[in-house]
Amino acid sequence: MKGLPIRQILVVLLAIPALALSFFIYQAGNFYVGLAILVVTCLGVYIYLSPSANTFRYLFPGFLGFGLFVIFPLVYTIWIGFTKYSSQNLLTFDRALALFRQETVAVEGAATFKYTLFSQGGAQHVLYLEDEKDPTKRFSSDPFPLEAGEKPKGDREPIRLNALPADGKVSGEAMQMAQINRAKLMSPLKALKFALPDDTLVGLEGLTKFASRQRLWKRNPDGTLTNAKDGTVIRPDLAQGFFVNNQGEKVGVGFRTFAGFYNYVRILTDPRIRGPFLRIFVWTFAFSALSVLLTFSVGMLLSVLLQQPDIRFRRTYRTLLILPYAVPGVLSILILKGLFNQEFGAINEMLRAIFGFAPEWETNPWGARAMVLLVNIWLGYPYMMLISTGMLQSIPSSIYEASAIDGSNKVVDFFSLTLPLVLPAMIPILISSFAFNFNNFNLIFLLTGGGPQMVGGNAGETDLLVNFVFNIAFRDSGTNYGLAGAIATLLFILVGALSWVNLKLSARQVKI
Amino acid sequence: MKLKPEQKARLRRLVTHTLLIGFLILVLVPYIMVVSASFRRGNFAPSGLLPDHFSLEHWKYVLGIPYEEVVNPATGEKRVVKAETPPLIWFWNSIKISAIASIGILLLSGTAAYAFARLHFKFRSTTLSSLLILQMFPMVLALVAIYVILDFLGQYLPALGLNTHPGLILVYLGGISGYIWMLKGYFDTIPASMEEAARIDGATQFQTFTQILLPMSLPIFAVVFILSFIAFMSEYPVASIVLQAREKWTLAVGANSFLAEHQKLWGRFAALAVLSGVPITLIFLVCQKFVVSGLTSGGAKE
Repeated sequence: MKGLPIRQILVVLLAIPALALSFFIYQAGNFYVGLAILVVTCLGVYIYLSPSANTFRYLFPGFLGFGLFVIFPLVYTIWIGFTKYSSQNLLTFDRALALFRQETVAVEGAATFKYTLFSQGGAQHVLYLEDEKDPTKRFSSDPFPLEAGEKPKGDREPIRLNALPADGKVSGEAMQMAQINRAKLMSPLKALKFALPDDTLVGLEGLTKFASRQRLWKRNPDGTLTNAKDGTVIRPDLAQGFFVNNQGEKVGVGFRTFAGFYNYVRILTDPRIRGPFLRIFVWTFAFSALSVLLTFSVGMLLSVLLQQPDIRFRRTYRTLLILPYAVPGVLSILILKGLFNQEFGAINEMLRAIFGFAPEWETNPWGARAMVLLVNIWLGYPYMMLISTGMLQSIPSSIYEASAIDGSNKVVDFFSLTLPLVLPAMIPILISSFAFNFNNFNLIFLLTGGGPQMVGGNAGETDLLVNFVFNIAFRDSGTNYGLAGAIATLLFILVGALSWVNLKLSARQVKI
Repeated sequence: MKLKPEQKARLRRLVTHTLLIGFLILVLVPYIMVVSASFRRGNFAPSGLLPDHFSLEHWKYVLGIPYEEVVNPATGEKRVVKAETPPLIWFWNSIKISAIASIGILLLSGTAAYAFARLHFKFRSTTLSSLLILQMFPMVLALVAIYVILDFLGQYLPALGLNTHPGLILVYLGGISGYIWMLKGYFDTIPASMEEAARIDGATQFQTFTQILLPMSLPIFAVVFILSFIAFMSEYPVASIVLQAREKWTLAVGANSFLAEHQKLWGRFAALAVLSGVPITLIFLVCQKFVVSGLTSGGAKE
């Protein structure tokens, strides 16, 4: 390239913010993330400046996105599958420890302080404390946000107070007690903890004063914690992800912990998980296989019908029959959900009027499964129709002429000539359609929400494995990321293997 | 009784038309019912081909136009209803997000596909296969990780965090492998001889890519754009977790919100569905020829 070194300038322009980001993240205490960004940035600079890395210039941006949003989540999810990580074991160990360290008790003969709250405009406030016995001991905080009605989370770090020199003044407008009350700041203030320069914690006692408080848990060198009130000792139990006392009882909040194959063993042995897991597995398989078979059959039938040269309006038929594929899937699914509504839906209204019979599409497991399949055929046949049409057009008509001389008819022709010719080429499409339906989250989530509820389980009768995992991670009362990660890993192995086989099969037909 | 050949053909045509019309009814009736539900007063599940109580209230609601509603039929008391966030915004959000993400997909997968089709490097076919297999890990299951990443990013770059459109677009850009396959398949069908000739005449590799290969591959780029655009328009789970604020929702999230557990607002849903479904459907049908040619070389629509 002549003239300006555009590439070099672009590289520098992109590298500078990336380096800055890496530095900020490192500074905020995330060493490894900062390092990773630094390494990736350097790699990028090298690739785009060194002539020998030419090939990777085309791959780098795509791989960056793929790595961040496909490979990383995959690895992360597999990792979570090996940990205890749920609503019971939510925090990291450090956060759980910090929570213990912030628990305080009132102490006898505690130092007490008069206080004034200074408004700094907006939600920012500064707290000023003055020792009641020794008025020369004065402290003030940096501005911190304090908002009415806001419930500060219990795990907030204490706000630091700094010693105020004798001539020091606090800026801002001093608030009267009535003002604080009116602004509804009293209870948020009470929920906050402050730390004096010597690390003593102070908190609001009653309404009028602050008092020093003692930390409830004292940290011992061996990692255990001692209760200052009753002297009990607790230690972290890494297998359970909880602190336990000498009697083995859990104390306080749980934390995330490495659990090995715990989640996998649970899938295999815990009847509350194994039961629904196996049922859902069988249903997922049946659903995918039937979906492929039925959409293919319907699609093939339609494309064969439309293949006859002496049929009028073929183009119109074809265009209108593609509609379910052209309309965004989410909308179609929701529309059909309305039609299948058990009480007011159009389908049952019609069936009632004609046959005096209304299937339970929503409450009966078999009715719901039938509905799911019907809707999926409705949504999926146009894709198969389009593909089959393409394949039918590639079959030379001469072979049919030959068989017509032998006195064959159309139906026999289809099964003895067309199908054997089309099927091998269709197999990769059928397999990928199987894999797609295996993970057809949207259909189930939007159509039935998994319902009806399985008897004696947390799962639904129409849930696919992918919905089951989603519910375990996000929906159930006890969100269990660890268990969800383990099932997700199994699911990935299954579908990954399937698409690997598929690749091998298609590679035999078309050389990659 | 033996049929004459022409009678046989007439019978065959009759059966064919009957079957096709039967299918057409099954396909068209639900859509017609939705159109009629969007013009029917009150929020009832779609049924009937013509609206019995004609009203434009749902259309006004969806477009953000205020309208009067009778609250108490006995006294004739009325109130003015106006959508706080006009649902039309969701459609616009979806268009914006899908279009930008699709352009991003074109850039990322186009360059990568070029490398896979024309350049030689170690583990090329292994990498290509791995891309496809790794992508089989459904995005729904990666949601925990995606949430963590965006939450983290948002602390440093608020514009890319949770509850932002750029953040969602960024996540969507990860799903490129199917499109790489599609593009690479097309590049492979174009002989490299022209590019080689240009190289001999002194063109750089980048120039042969942008000035020779790209112009010849415009049809397949159109296919990739349309397919990814439609896939993003329909994407529900990731958008529902990433976008929390009502005014940031996409069409899929918003449309589903009308049918949330307790109150099912079918009329409003129907108006929104018609309003947003029609243009997308038309685009698809117009570009049908392109899309069909691309389908045979790539994966299923989501």
